[in-house]
Amino acid sequence: MATFELYRRSTIGTCLTETLDDLVSSGAVSPELAIQVLVQFDKSMTDALESQVKSKVNIKGHLHTYRFCDNVWTFILTDATFKSEEISETLSKVKIVACDSKLLQPPHP
Amino acid sequence: MSVAVDPMAAGLGTSGGPMGVMRSDQPFIRCPRNIVSTVNLDCQLDLKMIALQARNAEYNPKRFAAVIMRIREPKTTALVFASGKMVCTGAKSEEHSKLAARKYARIIQKLGYPAKFKDFKIQNMVGSCDVKFPIRLEGLAYSHGAFSNYEPELFPGLIYRMKHPKIVLLIFVSGKIVLTGAKVREEIYTAFENIYPVLTEYRKCQKW
Repeated sequence: MATFELYRRSTIGTCLTETLDDLVSSGAVSPELAIQVLVQFDKSMTDALESQVKSKVNIKGHLHTYRFCDNVWTFILTDATFKSEEISETLSKVKIVACDSKLLQPPHP
Repeated sequence: MSVAVDPMAAGLGTSGGPMGVMRSDQPFIRCPRNIVSTVNLDCQLDLKMIALQARNAEYNPKRFAAVIMRIREPKTTALVFASGKMVCTGAKSEEHSKLAARKYARIIQKLGYPAKFKDFKIQNMVGSCDVKFPIRLEGLAYSHGAFSNYEPELFPGLIYRMKHPKIVLLIFVSGKIVLTGAKVREEIYTAFENIYPVLTEYRKCQKW
């Protein structure tokens, strides 16, 4: 199944990419293998978020801008409060990008 | 199930309510509630490019062939079509509707299109009011059969299609009225002045 490359820009994703870059430039890992690792990372992130994450977060803030194009929602929130059972944190500016995972499944014949 | 009657609107002591001849400048007619206008920007538009660059835009060509855009002041929604035609909805007055349409045209211009502002027209106006007494819709429907359509199993309101002015009224048991189909606000006022004496005639008396 195809996956989004959305999570590559997360902290864990950028760390992995940087490490792979170092390994490739030092010659320890071939570029092909590095790409393969990144593709596996996309899949593993999707799987992990689907099956292992149970916690829920409420996000509340002022919707500054929204956009829906190419089946991707983009929201820019100001003074957004993220609330879960453990944490409650307010951020002055937040950008949310959301894709529909159904789009990755093959269309019905 | 009995018909719900708002005790505030039950008509006993309509001290603040309307009596006698209705005037269009009377504050209790809330008009307009919504205005729909159209304008031609007179240039072909790339909707995807607009959706990607403009703020507060939605574009889902599978569902609807227009970009849906919103602004906060005046609080309105616009549908922008590839042909350059635009529909502006949600404004509360003629001036606001035109101002909003101009703002949308300006947004399109800022994205690099030679947008004009041709043939601006108010297409529809909606008004509403509350006569503050309950109405016997069955009686009204019976006596004004030619204009009335009352199917309580389909819709709780009576649909009254006035001929002059050509206005559609939704009349509810509660005494709340919605008037739509007007091109100018005077049509709403005239339609209300026409219907008000009829409504008083079919005022529902409270039975205890």
